[in-house]
This record gives sequence, C-alpha cells and structure tokens, in this order.
Amino acid sequence: MSGAGNREAVFPTRQSLGIMKAKLKGAETGHSLLKRKSEALTKRFREITRRIDEAKRKMGRVMQIAAFSLAEVTYATGGQIGYQVQESVKAARFRIRSKQENVSGVQLPAFESYITEENNDFGLTGLGRGGQQVQKCRDVYGKAVETLVELASLQTAFVILDDVIKIVNRRVAAIEHVIIPRTENTIKYINSELDELDREEFYRLKKVKNNKKKALDEAEAERAKLKEQQGEQLTISGTGSDEPADILADEEEKDVIF
Amino acid sequence: MEGLFFNIHSGYVEGIVRGYRNSLLTSSNYSNLTQCETLEDLKLQLTPSYGEQLANVASPFPTSTIAAKATDKLVQDFRYLRAQATGALAKFMDFLTYSYMIDNVALLITGTLHERDTKDLLERCHPLGFFEGLPALCVASNIEELYSIVLVETPLAPFFKDNLRSADLDELNIEIVRNTLYKSYLEAFHEFCTTDPELSGTPTAELMSEILGFEADRRAINITLNSFGTELSKSDRKKLYPEIGKLHPEGTLMLSRADDPEAVRLAIEIVGEYRSFFDQGGIGQGGGGIGGGAQKSLEDVFYQKEMELAKDTFTHHFTFAVVYAWLKLQEQEIRNITWIAECIAQNQKDRIGNYISVF
Repeated sequence: MSGAGNREAVFPTRQSLGIMKAKLKGAETGHSLLKRKSEALTKRFREITRRIDEAKRKMGRVMQIAAFSLAEVTYATGGQIGYQVQESVKAARFRIRSKQENVSGVQLPAFESYITEENNDFGLTGLGRGGQQVQKCRDVYGKAVETLVELASLQTAFVILDDVIKIVNRRVAAIEHVIIPRTENTIKYINSELDELDREEFYRLKKVKNNKKKALDEAEAERAKLKEQQGEQLTISGTGSDEPADILADEEEKDVIF
Repeated sequence: MEGLFFNIHSGYVEGIVRGYRNSLLTSSNYSNLTQCETLEDLKLQLTPSYGEQLANVASPFPTSTIAAKATDKLVQDFRYLRAQATGALAKFMDFLTYSYMIDNVALLITGTLHERDTKDLLERCHPLGFFEGLPALCVASNIEELYSIVLVETPLAPFFKDNLRSADLDELNIEIVRNTLYKSYLEAFHEFCTTDPELSGTPTAELMSEILGFEADRRAINITLNSFGTELSKSDRKKLYPEIGKLHPEGTLMLSRADDPEAVRLAIEIVGEYRSFFDQGGIGQGGGGIGGGAQKSLEDVFYQKEMELAKDTFTHHFTFAVVYAWLKLQEQEIRNITWIAECIAQNQKDRIGNYISVF
C-alpha cells in the first residue's frame, strides 16, 4: 500500500481513469456480495458442524447396539455365519442415491439412503436356529449404516463448505486489501498525473502567451519607430521632389532589422 | 442286564465324560465371571478350566479368541474320547460329528459355488466336523463333480443320496440344503440309536430318542418361525421337518400350514411340554429385543430345555447319551463364556445374565 509503488501499469489518460473508476465500483460491489455469501456459508457451516456432532454421538450409540446384536447372533447360532451371509448376498439391499443441494451457489452432495425391501438375500440364514436374531441384527445394522450415510453426507458437505468458505474469505480479503487499494492508488496516480499535465499545459500556455505578447510589443515598438523615421523622410523628400519615391525602383534600400 | 457288560468296552469313556462334566463351570463360577471388569479378569477366572489354552494369549485379545481357545479344548477332549471308543460307541460318536460335517460341507459348497479360495474355507471349518475327504471337496471345481465324485465318498453320502440331486445343490438355497441334510441326519441318528443291535432297548436308545426328538421339534418350530416372510414355500418347508419327535406327525402337519406365530403356538400346544414355551419366551419377533432386559427369547427357552435334558442324562448310568450331553453342555458353556466376554467387552452389563447355567 505504499503509495505510488502499488498501482497498475496504465497510462495516465482520461480513458484509463474512466476504466479504473468502473473497476473500483465493480470491486466494491463484488466485495459486498462475496462478504454476504461468506456469511451465509458460515451460517450453514456452523449448522452442519452441529449436526455432525449429533450424528457422531448417535453413531456411537447405534454402533454399540449393532455390535451387541451381532454378539446375540453369535450366541444364538452358536457359530460363525459371516461367511454364509457374505456368500449368499447377490444385490445390495441398502442403497443410497446422491443429489445436489445448492447453498448460495455451492453444490453440496447429499446422500439419501433407501432400502429395497424385496431384496432379502439371506432371509433363510439361520433357518434351523437363530434366524430371528440374524434378521434383527440385519435391521439394526441397517440403521447403523443409515446413520453412517447421514454422517458421510454431512462430512462431505463439511469439507466442501470448508474449502469454499476459505476461498470466498480469501477473495473478500484480496478485494478488500489488494484490489481496492490498488485501484484507488491508480486513480489517485492518474488524477495527480492529469493535474500535473494540466498545470504544465497551463504554464506552457502562459509562457507562450507571454512570448507572444513580448513579440507583439516589440513589433509595435518597431513599427512606431519606423513610422517616426518615415515621417522624417517624408519631410525631407517633400522638399526635394513632389513625386513619391519609387520604392520598387530604389535598390539601395536599407535592410530592416527587427 | 445291559449294565453288566457295559463297562467292558465303554466304562472308561463314560468315566472320563463324567469327569469332564464335573469340570464344567457352575453357577458360582458364572457369577464370578459376570463380576469381571475386563477381559483380563475373565481370563484369570477361566484359568482353572481353560488355563492351558488361554495361557499363551497375549494381553489385548478379542472375544473371539476366548471362544476359539475354548473350542480347541472341546475338540481336544472329544478327540481323546473318540480315540478310546470302540464298537457302537465309536459309531455313536461319529454320528455326533456328522452335524458339524454338515455345516462344513455346506460352507464348502457355498464356497465352491462362488469360486472362492478353498484353502481359506478350510480354515473356517469346525474342527469337529473335519474328515479325511473334506479337503478333497476343494478339488471339485464345479457342482456336478462335487456331487458325483467327492460327496459320495464322504460320511454324509447317505444323507445326500436320498434327498438331493446334483442340480439341487446349484438351485436351492444353501440353507435349505443344510436343513435337508440335517433332517436326514437326525432321522438316521435316531434310527441308529433305536435299532442298532447293541443299542436297542438300552437307556441310550431311550434317552437319545428323547433328546433327538426334542432337537427335531426345535428345528421344526424354528424353521417355521424363521421362514415367515421368506421365499420358502409351505410345501418346501414341510420337507425340512424331521419325521421324529413329539410333534410328528400332527404337530408338523399343523406347523406346515402355519402362517403366523399364533398358528405355531396352536400347533405346538398339542404337546404339553412345549405349551409353556411360548408364554415364557416372547414370541419370535418381539422376543429378546434390544434393551429388552431379562426377557428371554424362544431360542433361549429352547437352549434352557436342551441343557436340562443334557443334565438329566447324567443321572443315568451305562449309556452313551452322556457323551452327547457332555458335548452339548460344553458347547453351551463356550457360548456362555463368549456371551459374557462380549458383554464385558462392549460394556453392556445389564444383559450379562442372559447365559444359561444348569449346574
């Protein structure tokens, strides 16, 4: 911000002054808009942070219940069913779809989970024993995954918003502390240069006017002198001859020196 | 009369089994276990029974390690008994391993169907159900080969032969295959116990037919309850009911027609013993919900009953059924320990009392 050093390389003309003024105006509008955007995003960001906190706590509880229901399954079936379940699954029962949410111009992905009810690949697991526990465990884990999906969508939004807010804040700061001062400096510079030019021009004109006046005065004085001499000659020649002196014929006329 | 010569062949094994039974955890042991704050304490409490197996477990260990180590002990003891057994007892004990074999084979079939690395599968098999031909199952690359070359060589061949075609393995859900096998296994075991010349008319036959009958009924009820809301049709379901037990034939017929838990209740009410089960344990869906506290599910009631039967078995002398009873008690003990360990590990102390202790 050190005065003349920080300005744009422009020719100090009236046209560029116009451009700079437009630029300054644009920068100020942009600054206020970005500032408002940043505020809106921050508000949203705080809300998401709060919801992440909630979701994380909920996840802790749900995962605990889920892990415990798995223990119940182990108890009821008396063995490992993991492998069997793994092998009999053909298609996902729990699916998510992703959609976009627009928060002041930022696209946030939001995941939405849904369960395809008809998809019951390991419905027969634990048929002989523990089947109900298996089904219950599946339901509980379904809920756990739901919480995870919710958390995932919040976390993604959190990361993206964090980035965007940083960028926006950087832009706001850049406009506020770099672009606006620089443009202002440039305008100041152009103005001062233009004033300088004006003054120079004025001085030059004044000088020219002075010179002209001096020349005019001298010319006047010369003419007055000449007139005087002519008057003398007239009186002399008037006595010698009546006819006017032939100027063109008179070759020995004296040079006129100004 | 049967007691006269029993001890010539099987006295030693029976003695050992009774010794094993005495080393099972008692209620006071369990109440000590439930007081534990960490798995480390639990390990310490288990030292009298499982010290040998748990001695080398490094300190932060998952609950599954405890279960695995306890199973190791069970397998070790069982193998020792099996090595001592002769004649009918040997065959009886082979029958005991068949149920684990069914699980293993089902696992391998699933793996083969999905072309998994079979080495991996073998590690997951229950050691009790391990038999010589089991690794050979991995060699078969498709179902047709598996059925015609490998399965016929396994001890389970008779169960496959009568009930399943090779195409079934591909088409049917593996759970149905497993339950079909289990059904014929129960029937064959029952037949063996009641008709084998060495066993018929002995307390073994009497006890085992009661135990197996209960097991059959339990499976029938469970299958019915668990099949609600699945693609298992009623006629297919009927094929999975073992044709033994107290519910057969009227009860199973009613079960095969049941549409909801209420119909199941009606079906099993014809057997006096089972009548109270539904009242004790909340019916299926509602039973043992999360945070349901001490409420027992139907499964729990069944386990309780099974344990009582096993306990009663030890009041009889000169019978092979004690081996079966011991095996079941030991299994339940492993489940109990795992449950308590899980409760401790997950800090869910309020439900830690859900184990079943009989002694």
